[in-house]
Amino acid sequence: MRGLIARRLLLLIPMVWLVATLTFVVVAAAPGSYADTVDHPGLTVEQREALRTRYGLDQPVHRQYLRWLGSIVTGDLGMSFATREPVGRLLARALPPTLLLGTAALLLDFILGILVAVAAARHPRGWFDRTSTFFSLVIVGLPSFWVAGLTVLVFGVLLGWFPASHMHSVGADALTPLASLADLLRHLVLPAACLGLVGAAGTARYLRSTLLDIRGERYILAARARGISDRRVLWIHTLRPALLPVVTLLGLSLPFLVSGSVVIETVFSWPGVGLALLQAAHARDIPVIMGITLIGAVAVLIGSLAADVLYAVVDPRAREDGA
Amino acid sequence: MKKLALVFVLLPVIASCGSPGEDQTVATTGGPPAQGGTVVIGLLSDIQNWNPYVVEDLDTEHVLALIYPSLAIEQTDYHRHPPSFEPALAESWSWSEDHLALTLNLDREASWADGVPITSRDVVFTWQVQTSPEIDWLYGDGKDSIETIEAVDEHTVLVTFTHRYPYQFMDLNDGLIIPAHAWAGIPFDRWAETDWRNHVLGGGPFRLAGHTPQQEISLERNPHYHRAGLPYLDRVVFRIVPSEQGLVTQLLAGEIDFVRSINPSSVERVRAHHDLQLVIYDDRSYTHVCWNTGKPNLADPRIRRALTAAIDRETLIDVVYEGFGRLGIGPVLSSFWAFNRDLVALPFDPDTARAALAAAGWTDTDGDGVLDRDGSAFVIEILAPAENELRQDLAILIQEDLKRIGVKAVPRFVEWGTLMAAIEDGDFDALVNGWEEPTQIDLAGLWHSAPPGEPTFNFGRYSNPEVDRLLAEVDEVTDFAEQKPLFDRIQELIVADQPYTFLVENTRLTAHNSRIQGVEINAATPYFNIDEWYQMTEPAAE
Repeated sequence: MRGLIARRLLLLIPMVWLVATLTFVVVAAAPGSYADTVDHPGLTVEQREALRTRYGLDQPVHRQYLRWLGSIVTGDLGMSFATREPVGRLLARALPPTLLLGTAALLLDFILGILVAVAAARHPRGWFDRTSTFFSLVIVGLPSFWVAGLTVLVFGVLLGWFPASHMHSVGADALTPLASLADLLRHLVLPAACLGLVGAAGTARYLRSTLLDIRGERYILAARARGISDRRVLWIHTLRPALLPVVTLLGLSLPFLVSGSVVIETVFSWPGVGLALLQAAHARDIPVIMGITLIGAVAVLIGSLAADVLYAVVDPRAREDGA
Repeated sequence: MKKLALVFVLLPVIASCGSPGEDQTVATTGGPPAQGGTVVIGLLSDIQNWNPYVVEDLDTEHVLALIYPSLAIEQTDYHRHPPSFEPALAESWSWSEDHLALTLNLDREASWADGVPITSRDVVFTWQVQTSPEIDWLYGDGKDSIETIEAVDEHTVLVTFTHRYPYQFMDLNDGLIIPAHAWAGIPFDRWAETDWRNHVLGGGPFRLAGHTPQQEISLERNPHYHRAGLPYLDRVVFRIVPSEQGLVTQLLAGEIDFVRSINPSSVERVRAHHDLQLVIYDDRSYTHVCWNTGKPNLADPRIRRALTAAIDRETLIDVVYEGFGRLGIGPVLSSFWAFNRDLVALPFDPDTARAALAAAGWTDTDGDGVLDRDGSAFVIEILAPAENELRQDLAILIQEDLKRIGVKAVPRFVEWGTLMAAIEDGDFDALVNGWEEPTQIDLAGLWHSAPPGEPTFNFGRYSNPEVDRLLAEVDEVTDFAEQKPLFDRIQELIVADQPYTFLVENTRLTAHNSRIQGVEINAATPYFNIDEWYQMTEPAAE
């Protein structure tokens, strides 16, 4: 087990390097650069040239890459071209909102997903199963920007139940800590619901079919034959093994926790990593794009490692060949 | 009550549509101004920097203009004559006999938000910053004509110009005044890297109260503002909403009070909302097709005129802009004083276009529906930025129009960076583009074939020696009255040459909540009189 973790961690370095290098080359080699995205009527061609020189964009891609790599190795993520803010600080600021939103969405995703799957699997092809199947397929199939836009329109504008965007109301800085927290939670409802519902629909579909598969196993039949109640069979004997793949899902969701959702964060003006990535991509802001790519890549690799380790912990069969 | 207010807003608009060049300023009406209240303004992106001289972003400049003071306030009368100026920090000014020296008398009551008086030293320091090569301010070129700025005493400044020309005062006034006592200690070579958030100190109507990146900028009333009793508002909050759709949604939800620019497609929703007012006015921008005159197919003015005649611009405005916009005519907007009123837009006339192309040797010899000459087909690629849907729609409709006269146009949508790279290499046929025109008329940047020592925005490599000569002459004359006939002639020549097909003079649609009163909206300066905005004490009852 320790060997597995150590090996995978060692592998992490070349993998992250590869991802970062590919991303850098693609972004830097594409025509145009930050200096070209500055859409300002006062900017002369000469000044555009000066901007290019200032940020080293006039250099060939391999030079830019080596320069960037040099600073990364020393732990310096560089400065954003567009805002002249250190990338480390920008990430430190964007991560907490993304983590908060992601955690809330993930909780909703798994709690709702498990409940719906269990309820549906109790009576396969019953009315609840059919209804939930229909709705989860619809939700999974709809584009998230559309779902988010509709949510804003219905619950934010027409009904006015929840704020349609941002993390805080105007003037929230004057509120007491408790009222400020309540304000934050109110703002969290719609984006977390949008993200979480889509996830829950997927989780429910996935878990339902696993539950049904396991129901057919002989040890379930044996449990039934021994007179164990339906409820106990479902919640203990069936759900436990069925949750194994969900653990993998959970591990794979880790990158999403730190990289955020570009669509949801944009629609809800949520100041997280996804929104920062979108803005950086528009501005061809290489240091920011690279910073986010790095944490994203690390999160993907650590997430899949964590999933493997967790899997080994909960499933005794995975332990032997895993170590 | 609310309906009436809407009519007040719409009336001048209807009037202005019929008579170009009318004053487009629209004021809303309401009760007497009351002190206090908050206005929430929607912004598409966060502020770039807190120092106005380290900024490459227009929205940022507009926000900073609320925090830092100006010498004078440019008025919104550029429709009728060159803009006039009202005193701000400079209480009064006087010119020397030869119009080369200007004496400014600063307001003795004016002070920075920390209580330190604003003096001549600040004005001199600001000019040093504006002209510093280390700082390389975007508009630094505008200060080339200023020889020196000296402090005569605490509150008197003497400005000496190198030569006399019409825009001396405008160029001097350009740029916000910054605090010498607070900023002079930071070496210029460190300005680009300095975190200015901790150094914000203004003397404008508002001061910084808080900033949550990517969320909001909160400004509060500056008690030291030099206009006594103003501003009326206690707080101005800029909310950052990264999409135009989001801005409109929040406006409808009542979370935002003011959005400077909405898309025509949102007009119906805004109009249907009782609490919102829509202000429609001529913007300072136009959208056009820039033809690359360096391409053999497009080098001949007769061909370019034919292409213009083939494009049904009225329909484009109706379809793409839902009718909001005026037919483009020439290089000076018809809402500007310098516009040549004898000019009219080239008529939509596909038959004449076909005949002109045939006369130039373009015929469809192989019967494939596309004109050809000497064995090569008339095919052009029309570039449009991927970020701008309106311009993409225009490119697609133009493709249809040109197809009807046998010209094959292929729209291609590329991101802004790629587009700029193609422009710099001259590697394009046609480009759907737009310009926002400053209130200072400057045609050389766009139309001179090679302005001496100046980088050019002449993307299509347009060159007409007569235009070049007239542009040089414009630089020589010292007053506006002498410039006007030259401008008129230049406009005539450019319209005849059609280096652009001038599609549409844009209309700007500003929407705001009617609880905000006293708002004077114009295309020259956003948030023009924000120190006089006020909030209605009681929401108007139906």
